[in-house]
Amino acid sequence: MIRIERRLEQPRWLTVVVPVVSVAVAFLLATLVLLATHHPPLHTFRRLFDAAFLDNGALTETLVSATPLAFTGLCAAVAFRMNLFNIGGEGQLYAGAITGATIALLLGGAPSAVVIVGMIAAGAAGGAVLAAIPGVLRAFFSTSEIITSLMLNYVVALIIDYLIFGSHSYLRDSSGFEASVFPQGKTLPDEATWPSWAIHGLVIPLGALVAVAVAVVVWFLYKRTRFGFEVSVIGDSARAGRYAGMRTRRKIVAVMCLSGAIAGIGGASQDGDFRHQLDPRGLTQANYGYAGIVVAALARYNPFAVLLVAFLLGGLQNAGYTLQGADFPNGLVGVLQGLLLFCVLGGELFIRYRVRIERRHRTAAETA
Amino acid sequence: MNNSLLVVVLASGIAYGTPLLYGALGELLAERSGVLNLGVEGMMLVGAVMGFWAVQRFHVTTTLALLGAIGVAALAGALLAGIHAFLVVTLRANQIVSGLALTIFAGVAGLSSYLGNDLDLAKSPARHQFQEVFPKSWQDLPVVGPIIFGQSVLVYASWLCVVLVALYLTRTRLGLNVRAVGESPAAADAMGINVSAYRYAHTLVGGAFAGVAGATFSLSITPQWIAGLTAGAGWIAIALVVFSFWRPALCLVGAYLFGAFAYLPFVLQARDYPWAPPPELSQSLPYLMTILALVLVSSRAARLRFGAPAALGRPYVREER
Amino acid sequence: MVHQHFRLVEPFSVAENVVLGDHRDVGRTFRLHSRAIERRVGELSQRYGLAVDPRARIWQLSLGEQQRVEILKALYKDARILILDEPTAVLMPQESRALFDTIRAMARDGRTVIFISHKLREVKAVADRVTILRRGRSIATVPAADATPQSLATLMVGREIRPARRDGPREVGEACLELHDVGADGDRGLPAVRDVSLTVRRGEILGIAGVAGNGQRELAETIAGMRPPTGGTVRVTGRKLKAGDARAAIGAGIAYVPEDRLGTGLAPGLSVADNVVLKSYRKPPASRGPLLLVRKIRELAEALMQRYDVRASGPDVPARQLSGGNLQKVVLAREFSGDPVVLVAASPTRGLDVAGIEVVHAYLRDAAERGVGVLLISEDLDEIRTLADRIAVMYEGAIVGERDASTATVEELGLLMAGGE
Repeated sequence: MIRIERRLEQPRWLTVVVPVVSVAVAFLLATLVLLATHHPPLHTFRRLFDAAFLDNGALTETLVSATPLAFTGLCAAVAFRMNLFNIGGEGQLYAGAITGATIALLLGGAPSAVVIVGMIAAGAAGGAVLAAIPGVLRAFFSTSEIITSLMLNYVVALIIDYLIFGSHSYLRDSSGFEASVFPQGKTLPDEATWPSWAIHGLVIPLGALVAVAVAVVVWFLYKRTRFGFEVSVIGDSARAGRYAGMRTRRKIVAVMCLSGAIAGIGGASQDGDFRHQLDPRGLTQANYGYAGIVVAALARYNPFAVLLVAFLLGGLQNAGYTLQGADFPNGLVGVLQGLLLFCVLGGELFIRYRVRIERRHRTAAETA
Repeated sequence: MNNSLLVVVLASGIAYGTPLLYGALGELLAERSGVLNLGVEGMMLVGAVMGFWAVQRFHVTTTLALLGAIGVAALAGALLAGIHAFLVVTLRANQIVSGLALTIFAGVAGLSSYLGNDLDLAKSPARHQFQEVFPKSWQDLPVVGPIIFGQSVLVYASWLCVVLVALYLTRTRLGLNVRAVGESPAAADAMGINVSAYRYAHTLVGGAFAGVAGATFSLSITPQWIAGLTAGAGWIAIALVVFSFWRPALCLVGAYLFGAFAYLPFVLQARDYPWAPPPELSQSLPYLMTILALVLVSSRAARLRFGAPAALGRPYVREER
Repeated sequence: MVHQHFRLVEPFSVAENVVLGDHRDVGRTFRLHSRAIERRVGELSQRYGLAVDPRARIWQLSLGEQQRVEILKALYKDARILILDEPTAVLMPQESRALFDTIRAMARDGRTVIFISHKLREVKAVADRVTILRRGRSIATVPAADATPQSLATLMVGREIRPARRDGPREVGEACLELHDVGADGDRGLPAVRDVSLTVRRGEILGIAGVAGNGQRELAETIAGMRPPTGGTVRVTGRKLKAGDARAAIGAGIAYVPEDRLGTGLAPGLSVADNVVLKSYRKPPASRGPLLLVRKIRELAEALMQRYDVRASGPDVPARQLSGGNLQKVVLAREFSGDPVVLVAASPTRGLDVAGIEVVHAYLRDAAERGVGVLLISEDLDEIRTLADRIAVMYEGAIVGERDASTATVEELGLLMAGGE
């Protein structure tokens, strides 16, 4: 019989060893999969690694993939820390992309710094307002935020589609012959192009730096402010929070808005750093929001770990795109990511609980 | 008349809505036992690819091949669901993250494409496909012809499934037990019901349904394997469960609604309708209605009748009662 | 066993709940024969006087009716022995009478009923024999016919075999906590506190005696602002307290040591240091403006841990790792360091060993000496008699008697606690 009991203490070494072992097991499983399908494992892993980090321009592309994951990862981490399962990061990112692009178009002509700051603010606002809906519903009506945030993802996805494909909205590009046949978003003015910095051939987009800044802010907020203290108390025991006189409902809305704002900035970054237009197809196919939840889970909701995991998974994504072709197993990226997640998730059990295997020798008389 | 907009949309709505229906029925069963499985899209794709593979490989008559293919698809879906079940029921992992992991693992960037690629499945169309069942003369009947008699076996089977699932939940002992597990695992446990077993079983069956849903795509709708051919149907199925308030009959209605709305823009475009309402608007209505309904359903009584199973998404641990 | 907290599935009907998980007899087959089941449930309910509509949904039923469903569950399974744990806690008087009829009917059928209660009236009304338990031990078993309220009460609380070590009289000041006609509802919507009026003075210890479940917890929570009152006022040093607001209560100087240490009084996953500032984090020295002064907090915690002798490897240890006694020390240390005006302590020594109990008692005395008004709620009559200056007894949500501790006898307190006159 297997008995699972909650651990009283979580020794430090466990929290390091278990994830490492989990990752190792994941790679082992991936190796088995590759072997079973007649691909050379070591060679494949090597190619992945090169394509992700070592090849010419790989790091830059990795940053491109990692930046949105960092934002959505932070979005999820911020909320999940308080047991608020905001799975609306996807929609909140779209919302930020919409508001960011709108501001960029409206402010065209103003100095670049103004436009960029405007985009960031607008993106944050868009995401925050959207996230407030499930927040308020949860805080004041006890409606599950899982379901409401999920539903809103679909709604915003349709809105963003509508803006470009279904209507002649402000955001849609109506100039030129192509526009009526291949609808796409208006190209954002040059002032709305976010700067990037090249260091030894590595191009660092502004979004990446903003993500790092957000991570620092989030870390600081959660570790060193009263707000963060309340979040940890309520996340640990809602009853203790009420005992201490904390305003639980307001906190729920505030945390959801913060979470949405971060995803929204990610949306604005997509507009300003990479796509330079509102790109519904690209955004909805990328699934950054859901991937972000995965990133946050792997990072165990620590903001700096989120950055690291986003970077690594971004590398994996990048490698996947680059290597797509006849001689590389298609879909390996997803398989690897999935295996990693499964193993880490499964490993969590061993950190939180102690597993004991007991023999069934005892008779009723002995245990009496 | 049979070429009218309404008939065409309804007939296609049913055809397109069938995989949604299968997926939703499966997810409904899992959620009724308290397990949220966001991996439907992944399970669908793997079901699609494995069903397709089976049809290409099974050198038997059409009927047997298709039957076997459906079986393989269901098995594939169930196996994947088994991973999720193991993680969330036995290992007490977070259900949301596990479901997402499943989608990533098996989805368009994962296992399904991996298999499709490695097994060289994109090369040719399916050797056998699900065709219409009824003779042409029946299909030409006004209105009901194309809508009711112009469908494949999978559609008719799905109707049977709706009836079976509905009867199962409301009229059988097992169905009562699983509903108890989803609403109040503590009460069920106290009455001697094995909560884990029920959750495992229903999650696996949910996966099987998702697999069949995927096979509907690769063997009936687009009888070909294309990576990612479900195009988000799995996600729609999840929304459909909420939209139908966890009731199988409403799943049917909802699936065809969603299916019709998904198909509508193509039809309208082909026919050059100038006044068509933006399809995105109509497509978003179901989701908006669901949110509205969820809010209105915040009164205790209504929530108990229409709301989610109370224990949905939470792991059950006996000591922590 | 019919627990105090029902195990019912709310959206289901009565019949569905009764038959849940059952594998025999009616409906052994796959199909759920609802009509047959409803009929059988109806029969049982008729036979034993448990009036309830088999088709009604649980959420539509009153608590009394829900309890009947729980009993029906047991009867459906043909239980030969039924254990009812404080069943009348959720019943109105006429429902209680109906319950007694049911119990007698079950007994007539040859079933055995074990009825747990601390209410003497009920015991006399329904039992054949009475066993009295005290501190986990069986003290005596007497035929109910021979028992009188006095004899039972004495058995319940024991005689004064040895003179209790009593504190000397204390100097008391003006009133610091005044409750006037305070009422509050319990978790299940029934009134738990009924028109309670009491006064605690500075420097005194007012003990509230009573068997658990008579509204003590709800009273404490109402004073501490965790539960909105349904009526009445609470005043602290003369000023009216904003109802149902924990923050206001904390601000007014009310310290609360709850019964549930680890789930309510402390956040189990957070460190001792964090728990020490659980209520004071909003002001200096724990914070300055919106910023938390983490190092300061650690220092505070270390100092407190030293002063109050909390045994743990450091202030960063998660609270759940501490032993019961140390947990209580942390809670008390925190509550005291806030310089309270009123201290509400609910079952503060529950689950502690002798040494732990001594420590807690020392703190309570210390508090009174420093002029804090202490409201001590406890099921342990000895503890109350040792520490308190005055004793009030709570029964079914109301204060049924107040006595001076130096003159009150065990017998009269026991009688009050059990609902006698």
